[in-house]
Amino acid sequence: MKKEVDARGRACPEPVVLTKKALETADEITVIVDNSTAEENVRRFAVSRKCTVQVERQGGESSLLIKKPLHGGDSSGARKAEIPGHAQDEALRQAASGPLVLVIASDRMGAGNDELGMVLMRSFLHTLGEAEQSPDTMIFFNTGVRLAVQGSEVLDDLRALCNKGVRMLVCGTCLGFFEMKDKLAVGQVSNMYDITETMLGAGKVIRL
Amino acid sequence: MSAAEYCVILFDSVSSTLLAEKFLKKANVLHKVIPVPRHISSDCGVCIRFSPEMRSRVEQALTGRVEFREICAL
Repeated sequence: MKKEVDARGRACPEPVVLTKKALETADEITVIVDNSTAEENVRRFAVSRKCTVQVERQGGESSLLIKKPLHGGDSSGARKAEIPGHAQDEALRQAASGPLVLVIASDRMGAGNDELGMVLMRSFLHTLGEAEQSPDTMIFFNTGVRLAVQGSEVLDDLRALCNKGVRMLVCGTCLGFFEMKDKLAVGQVSNMYDITETMLGAGKVIRL
Repeated sequence: MSAAEYCVILFDSVSSTLLAEKFLKKANVLHKVIPVPRHISSDCGVCIRFSPEMRSRVEQALTGRVEFREICAL
């Protein structure tokens, strides 16, 4: 099934949200946007879902032709992309440049002063939420999981990143250790298999 | 000139910023700690952002408690 999404005049993250919705019911969609940020965000989102993307620019507008991957051909394509299988990981490893993975190993940025470290982390995630480029996946473990649970100061920033198509893996062992499993507010509970596969399949890993 | 989307309040130190945040939380003033916008200062500082209609409440919550440098409209 084909679909067309007119995302002109829509503010971030709406173009990505509309794209995501359309991909749930169609295998091939055309998304029209009117700025380069929206184009980049939609393109990145589609790539993260293992779709092929062709971009055509005319005037100030871009038209993105997005096709779901052929294998399987069922409606679970989006889910497959969220939890990559071995075949997909193999493809990623062979790609010249794979996904950008950001590892959040602590709720503080840098070691030394804890209070300062927390301020820096909030400051960083705010900036990341507003940056044009986003990581493909963010991995949270150890005290880093505290950022993704209810009451965290950075939830709005993390939600904005999610809406841009960033996949968030939150270590289940860590949530269990801190007794926060029922408090997860953003991202998905993940395990060491997914975390390891994602790191090994990455083109670049940034560890904060 | 169009109305400002946000205001930021600048302090002389990170610890003043954090102290101010405590008072804003106590006063239930909606805010966000963000890096000082690049066009205001190139230092790696932090400041507190809030919507313009909160301005008087911010000033009220902080006056006499935390010294601040200035409030800028963005």
